[in-house]
Amino acid sequence: MSVLIPYISPYNQDITGAVHFENAGQAPSFSHWFGTDAVGRDVFTITIRAAFFSLKIAFGVVVFSVLLGVPIGMFAGLSGKRTEEIIMRITDGFLAFPPLILPLVITTILGPSLNNVILGITASWFPWYVRIARSQSLVISSLDYVSISMSMGAGKLHIIKKHILPNSINPILTQASIDAGYAILTSAGLSFIGLGAQHPDVEWGLLITQSRAHFLSHWWEVFFPGVFLCLTVMCFNIIGDEISQGDRI
Amino acid sequence: MTLIMSIVISITFLIVRLLPGDPILLVVGDRPTLEQIEKAQNDYGFNEPLHKQYISFLKRTISLDLGVSLRTKQPVLDEINKRFPATFELVFFSMFISIIVGLPMGVISALKKGEKIDVLFRGFSYVGLSLPVFWLAMILQIVFFGVLNWFPLQGRYSRSAFHDDPSIFHSGFIFLDTFFSGDLSSFLDALEHIVLPGLTMAFGVLGLLFRITRMTTIDTMDAPFFRTFKFYGFKDREIIKKSGYKNTLIPISTVAGLSFGLMLGGTFLVESVFDWPGIGQFSVLSILTRDYPAVIGVTILYSFIYIIINFFIDLLYVVVDPRIRV
Repeated sequence: MSVLIPYISPYNQDITGAVHFENAGQAPSFSHWFGTDAVGRDVFTITIRAAFFSLKIAFGVVVFSVLLGVPIGMFAGLSGKRTEEIIMRITDGFLAFPPLILPLVITTILGPSLNNVILGITASWFPWYVRIARSQSLVISSLDYVSISMSMGAGKLHIIKKHILPNSINPILTQASIDAGYAILTSAGLSFIGLGAQHPDVEWGLLITQSRAHFLSHWWEVFFPGVFLCLTVMCFNIIGDEISQGDRI
Repeated sequence: MTLIMSIVISITFLIVRLLPGDPILLVVGDRPTLEQIEKAQNDYGFNEPLHKQYISFLKRTISLDLGVSLRTKQPVLDEINKRFPATFELVFFSMFISIIVGLPMGVISALKKGEKIDVLFRGFSYVGLSLPVFWLAMILQIVFFGVLNWFPLQGRYSRSAFHDDPSIFHSGFIFLDTFFSGDLSSFLDALEHIVLPGLTMAFGVLGLLFRITRMTTIDTMDAPFFRTFKFYGFKDREIIKKSGYKNTLIPISTVAGLSFGLMLGGTFLVESVFDWPGIGQFSVLSILTRDYPAVIGVTILYSFIYIIINFFIDLLYVVVDPRIRV
């Protein structure tokens, strides 16, 4: 949808930063469903367009967190006591930062941009995957059929590929789905502080932030991007819950 | 706990030092003079090898020497101390709200599982978890200030209320100060100001607490002891009130501990929307002005607070469940 918006919206030039002062600050109407912002852009168009960047952040964070966290966790679960202990303590260290703080520091130092936001949020989220992957590999490698396979000389890589990965997909997917939502929320929060994505990578958080100067009289500029953001995050949460419930039965 | 704290310090050090960016610029600001650079190099020992720098960073942080803020030229710790009461009151207030609202909601929802009220509460909690706090804050401002004008827009108190008597402002905790000095109108004024930011922060955590309460209560109602009581003819509500609630306390306190982290992060956003003179707002200003010592100081301090809170919650387990031994 957000990729298609340049073609379906009557105000497609707004995406690239067109300015129509004559239409500025209009309330929602039939020609502008969600009203227009301070420089006369159609809020509906830019809201939908922002979805693209928000989702980009969400998928970026989830993919990187899984790619980083799962191998580390599985390695920890299958290696000896001491290595496992060290890896898990470092992971705990990452988790000891309150959420939002670690991405905040990282984007402060690296400078605000969409990619740095993804990097920052990943740094605070991958430890959860380390934990899940480790506990899964601990549980599964103690199952009878896996220990038999090990006693027959199967290597660690074989065990991970054949037994642990297929059995860990559900909990990882659950976490990934919920995290996609949180990533959007966190990136919106970073944008609000001024550390998030920068123009022209406008995601929902930035859109809300941009309207701050006059939001009391122009509620539609704040309201609609927020509703879209909230609905998207809610979808991810509900999907996550559904996956985990399917797991339980 | 000390182990985790030192790991936190190490990670912070590594982030600051190993990510691209000149560390000297982090200390002296954007447009330093040559003398400033030299002075900083000597002061912070940037010429020394990395491991020596690491050890001195560790030492300074443990003795809570967080450096000097570039923006205000005051020690970072003093700046934080000054703002601590405001943030503490806000976090405490919203934690209080989310507990006294979230837990009963969870129990009711569990008792009426599948009924309309359960569906309603669950929907409510999903919304709470999915809302960006700063957006909620702005919407509340629009509705309760812009449209209804019930609550003040921002700030911690009205200027006029405290104008005539600055002496009541000694400990910094407005509620304690006004309460003990018997200044009812100022107390109510402060209460009026905390409602909107407090509700904003409480909303997300409330959803979290509700979900865990509902889930553990439902699990408890499946337990064999619960069914036995039921056969004896007790009502669901009675069993939960008399003994069932004990089983839910540990998961709930774990989540409460985690949600403190959520709140600490939330202070950054909520405080800057409501112009609340706390640590969060201070850090946002520091970030905007590239005041790195302040940002790093707040990071470490927030992590410490978070770790300490969770440590105490671990201790609480022993009180709640006598089977657990330290």
